[in-house]
Amino acid sequence: MIYFVIQKSVGINTNVSRFTFQFSTLVIGVLIFVITSCSKDPIRPTTDPVDPPPGDSVTYSEGFFIVNEGNFNWGNASVTYVDYSTGTAHQHIFQQANNRPLGDVAQSMKVMNNRGYIIVNASNRIEVVDLINFKLIKSIEGFNSPRYIEFIDSTKAYVTNLYKDISVIDLTTLTITKTIQIPEWTEGMVRYNKFMFITCIGSFTQPSSKRKAKLLILDTKEDYIVDSIQTATEPVAIVIDKKLKLWVLCSGGWDGFSAPMLIRVNPDLKQVEKAFSFPSNETPSRLSINPTGDTIYYMQNGIFQMPVTAPSLPTQPLISSDDHLFYGMAVHPIDGTIYASDAIDYVQDGMAFQFSSSTGTQIRAWKTGRIPGSFCFGETRNPKTIE
Amino acid sequence: MLLVMGAYATASGQQLSDTLRLKEVEVKASFPVNNMGFKRVRLDSTILIPRLDANLGTILAQYSTIFIKSYGNNNLATPSFRGTTAHHTIVEWNGITINSPMLGQIDLSQLPVAQFQGVEILYGASGLSRTSGAFGGIINLKTTPDWNNRLHVILSQTIASFHNYTTTLNAEVGNGNLQSHTRFNFGTGNNDFPFYNDYTGQTEKLINGAYTQYGFSEDIFAKIKNQHLISGRIWYNYSTREIPPLNTNVNPDHIENQTDKSLRSLVEYKYIHRNLSVTVSSALINDYLHYINDSINAKHQYYSFTNRIRVNLTRIGKLTIQPGLDLIHDWVNSDAYSNQKQRNVLGGFVELIYSASPAVTLSVLARAEVVDGLLMPFIPAIGVEFKPFRKINLSLSANLSRNYRYPSLNDLYWETWGNPELLPEISYGAEGGITWNWLNRSRSLFLETELTGYYMLLQDMIVWSPSSTSSAIWIPENVSEVTARGVETGINSAIVFWKSNLDLNITYNYCKSTYQKEINPNGSSVGKQLIYTPIHTMNASMRFERNGYFFSYLFNYIGRRYLGKDNTEYMPGYNLSNLFFGKSIQLKDFMLSLQLEINNLFDLDYQSIAYRPMPGRNFAITIRGGFSRKSSH
Repeated sequence: MIYFVIQKSVGINTNVSRFTFQFSTLVIGVLIFVITSCSKDPIRPTTDPVDPPPGDSVTYSEGFFIVNEGNFNWGNASVTYVDYSTGTAHQHIFQQANNRPLGDVAQSMKVMNNRGYIIVNASNRIEVVDLINFKLIKSIEGFNSPRYIEFIDSTKAYVTNLYKDISVIDLTTLTITKTIQIPEWTEGMVRYNKFMFITCIGSFTQPSSKRKAKLLILDTKEDYIVDSIQTATEPVAIVIDKKLKLWVLCSGGWDGFSAPMLIRVNPDLKQVEKAFSFPSNETPSRLSINPTGDTIYYMQNGIFQMPVTAPSLPTQPLISSDDHLFYGMAVHPIDGTIYASDAIDYVQDGMAFQFSSSTGTQIRAWKTGRIPGSFCFGETRNPKTIE
Repeated sequence: MLLVMGAYATASGQQLSDTLRLKEVEVKASFPVNNMGFKRVRLDSTILIPRLDANLGTILAQYSTIFIKSYGNNNLATPSFRGTTAHHTIVEWNGITINSPMLGQIDLSQLPVAQFQGVEILYGASGLSRTSGAFGGIINLKTTPDWNNRLHVILSQTIASFHNYTTTLNAEVGNGNLQSHTRFNFGTGNNDFPFYNDYTGQTEKLINGAYTQYGFSEDIFAKIKNQHLISGRIWYNYSTREIPPLNTNVNPDHIENQTDKSLRSLVEYKYIHRNLSVTVSSALINDYLHYINDSINAKHQYYSFTNRIRVNLTRIGKLTIQPGLDLIHDWVNSDAYSNQKQRNVLGGFVELIYSASPAVTLSVLARAEVVDGLLMPFIPAIGVEFKPFRKINLSLSANLSRNYRYPSLNDLYWETWGNPELLPEISYGAEGGITWNWLNRSRSLFLETELTGYYMLLQDMIVWSPSSTSSAIWIPENVSEVTARGVETGINSAIVFWKSNLDLNITYNYCKSTYQKEINPNGSSVGKQLIYTPIHTMNASMRFERNGYFFSYLFNYIGRRYLGKDNTEYMPGYNLSNLFFGKSIQLKDFMLSLQLEINNLFDLDYQSIAYRPMPGRNFAITIRGGFSRKSSH
């Protein structure tokens, strides 16, 4: 280090003063330039528009939605809309329509009576939007980390939560009218007659090896749990087939202590009729069924196709994961094509793909938002679940 | 950086480093011309004394070219140094690494300015003589004795907006052979500042942002016949803080808090005889962290026992030889690990400095380390310094180096998901710079400037990502590759005129740090800037003083920071202005000063990290009293 100690007292020096003046002018000039060249707008997350904004002419009823979870605790959830006819993907449609962020971790979305219900898990809300323009109708608050919504009729719906309870929603007032106390993590729902079958993973705060997993049977007339059926570890998803059998995918937990399973449940006898085991180092996720209810699909890196009558799990995927990091998967409820999303590496915008259900070949691809997790294909109901 | 400060007055007043009437001028260079080819920069008490209420993160953000990613006042602040990640900056306390071996990084908000005297910043390869793994560089917090000091006390009290209060005490007492430094800091605050929440469309007050932090340290220095230097230090720091929620997570029952306790101790013995010096030091660090939120309640405790020997043998002909040996033992008890985990590091290095001529100095360094019985990649470095002119303080320097970073214990052992198969990360670096300073003949103007360019290739970078067997299981793997290149430049000036001092300082930093490898063919990150790493940053400051009045203006520009590896979403660039002014009174050995601080002068509504609000214009008043007496010789 250089260290000068100067012993001389200093007077005014005209050269120095001139220099000082010039130097100060330069510095002040640079500062003014930088200050004025910066915007005074609030500093917020910004995306330069790459796709044409939907504009007023677009209504959101002629396409499907990709729900982008976003990174937990980053507040970057979003919804992508894809128009069926043009195939154009529009990003951040909630933000554009409502001029505010959607929130933190959008888990799922469903549509009822031209209203979209977007479940924003970490923000602890359901955003109810008008499907004509995606404008917010109401934010429903007061959940305990909501996961999925299932409608009973045009006035009533259930919402599963990570903690504490299942919420009962009045769809006319858009309020929580009742809670059904379950001190555990409830997840997927399927309706059968007057019952809602709800997968229950166990206590969220416990490691997955200690969670007690079951299928809850909820009476939708009286709003109480009438019974439960024990399942394998971590029942993450449930569907119903054409023979009115329930299929539950149990991921086995993320600590590798128990084998994942796909189980078939008879809802009348309330019994597990069949159980297919996966190797214990696998963690299957996502479960969907085709419109005719005879073929189920699940994700285990790749996407597997399995007739409901099959004697064992398929050994080869219909769609290989070679060029993908698949994250979400759903079968289209009308045409039966397979939609899957790729979260890339979770730190950039993802992709979504449509695949043929017969050959597994890719039909179309779209850019999405961050961590595309689920799909919403508008107002469609599985006819088998209707009374 | 900014260190060229003019003007501190009489011998007794000088140590107060506050604003005193000037009779004599003292100029310090912050860009040393003699650096053996490796860049170093200093921040000294001139900068730190007016900021005794701040933490290291704030100081580095305002005065250095290191980008600090901050979650807000007294909340997590991590460095990005030369486009690297927080793991690649090592913070030292008097030469001893204090990064957590669990995380591989340290929270700069937990290092109060009141607990150290100066900051030394070693860029890139210049840290290799200290330790491995600091691809970005090393930040060393230093406290050294002044043997002329007899009694020196500073007591300060700050009252700031949003119910934030800080008290600090620094007492240094001793004689020519024995010196004692006692430091104490206490800070508490609510941080309940108002902000506009886009998500709710309302102006709200930040919730769950309160903190309490206190620390105590004692440093004892003894000198025997200018031949034996012995020092013993101990530093206890306690902090408990709430962690505010993201402003899209509006749950009023939000629970998230963290308590940190650390006890650091260091003993050192230095023997000096003619052209030989030998330093032996031994440090024990105990760090405890307790984190609680809705679903997690986890305790982590680590111990780090560091032993070092350094030998300095000068004037063997034109050669200086500096060998050294490190022996480090870390052990961790963590709720996140299945059992106690340990790490043993044995490192040896030698640095040779050869003065080929008065104009040319060559420096060669080699370091080898064994971690848990495994020989780590060899670390070589070579540096050259060239001073072409005898009468002009101009030096050109360059260096080449290779470095490695061992995975953190979390990377290796995190229960279920840690990956014990991880390899060390590797970096290759090249750097060249020019430094110049000049003092005019009437000694009223000092100028210095510096320009450095660097290029770094980082390979086998550890990234946590979904495993090949399941997207639900995240494991760390050596999969990423990053290239960082940039230019750092600064101009400092100190001017004395009209019985006043004027200092003007500017630093600018250009850093292009890009992802070079994509694992997923659908990704588009190759060639894109690292997330939360600005390409452009600039700091400028002006300080004026006359007759005990002082005025400082600080300006920081932080360029666009991307929020995703594909660089589609970003936080726009912004600038912040801070102002300090006040008056100091000197009465014999006593000093009293009153200072008003205005932060975020233009009341910018900004977020540094997405959806983490930052305060608008805010104020702090500091009153500082001091006493200083030196030996009369």
